[in-house]
Amino acid sequence: MNEKSQRKIFNLLVKKGVENFVGVPDSTMKHFIDEGLKKGKILISTREEEAIGIATGMTLSGGKSLVFMQNAGFANSLSTITSLVQLYQIPMILLIGWRGFLKNDAPEHTKIGEVQPKLIKTIGLTTKIIDEKNFTKICDWAVKQLEKKKFVGLIIKREDID
Amino acid sequence: MIRKKAIEILANEIGDQPIISSNGFMSRDLFESYEKKSNFYMLGSMGLASSIGLGIALKKQKQKIHVFDGDGNILMNLGSLVTISSLKPKNFIHFIFDNQSHESTGGQPTNSSKIQLEKIAEGMGLKTFKISTQNQIKKIISKIKNMDGPILIIVKISNSKYRSSRVDIDPPNIKNRFMESLKK
Repeated sequence: MNEKSQRKIFNLLVKKGVENFVGVPDSTMKHFIDEGLKKGKILISTREEEAIGIATGMTLSGGKSLVFMQNAGFANSLSTITSLVQLYQIPMILLIGWRGFLKNDAPEHTKIGEVQPKLIKTIGLTTKIIDEKNFTKICDWAVKQLEKKKFVGLIIKREDID
Repeated sequence: MIRKKAIEILANEIGDQPIISSNGFMSRDLFESYEKKSNFYMLGSMGLASSIGLGIALKKQKQKIHVFDGDGNILMNLGSLVTISSLKPKNFIHFIFDNQSHESTGGQPTNSSKIQLEKIAEGMGLKTFKISTQNQIKKIISKIKNMDGPILIIVKISNSKYRSSRVDIDPPNIKNRFMESLKK
């Protein structure tokens, strides 16, 4: 996704009331993260499960939270998702960078990239793919889900190889 | 001193203030000793009690947030200490009950006996204390009363055959009543 759209997505989510952005960096969404860092609104944790824990605490305090991570971190987080977020019904947006979407992505990403849609389906997480054309509508949808106390995922495809 | 005794004394001293308790026997002991709406019993997600507590402490800066953690739990998420010490929440009080074992899964050893957790915490700039008696628990509570956090207190405990009952509140209910209690 291009830089301009990523920066717009961050600002749009803030405008819609998302207060807490916690996660582990991913190059697929580096401009999104950079925009948040510039605004002083990003908290970077050591691991993705930790980010989910911190965001859970913030949500318990009454704010809207988003956790960002690469799909490698999503795989790390499965037990935290099932035994914390889903068990307690914690409203949260999970923004996941889809490495291995392209078959010729780096080798460490290919397997998780391939199984990611099945993993998401298996754990019963509702997700939408967010892109340069649909982001206004998708951000709207995601924040509405938060207001309905739902836990949802937004996926950014990695469509270029560096 | 067994964990349940240490928890009883501490929970009474803490009173109505929020406590986030780690999974396994920790939450069960707290549930049996001092059940209240401002206890967040973390039943799963091993390792994350301190992270949940940190998130609350950052947003509720006027309330003191207490975490009841275990040695197995903190060793699973040592990075949490890095994040806590880098953000320095003044209202964050972290207790680690250290029995050098995974008591909830049958008493298998952790490696906390082979390291000095307090030195790691001190190296990170956390105000660190280590205690092991009932008298010391009461003393430490009055000592930290007007002290800025983050504070880490290692409570050395021994294992016990006593088993507290399971937390029988539905997790969404644990969450809802905890959220209500934070609003006050």
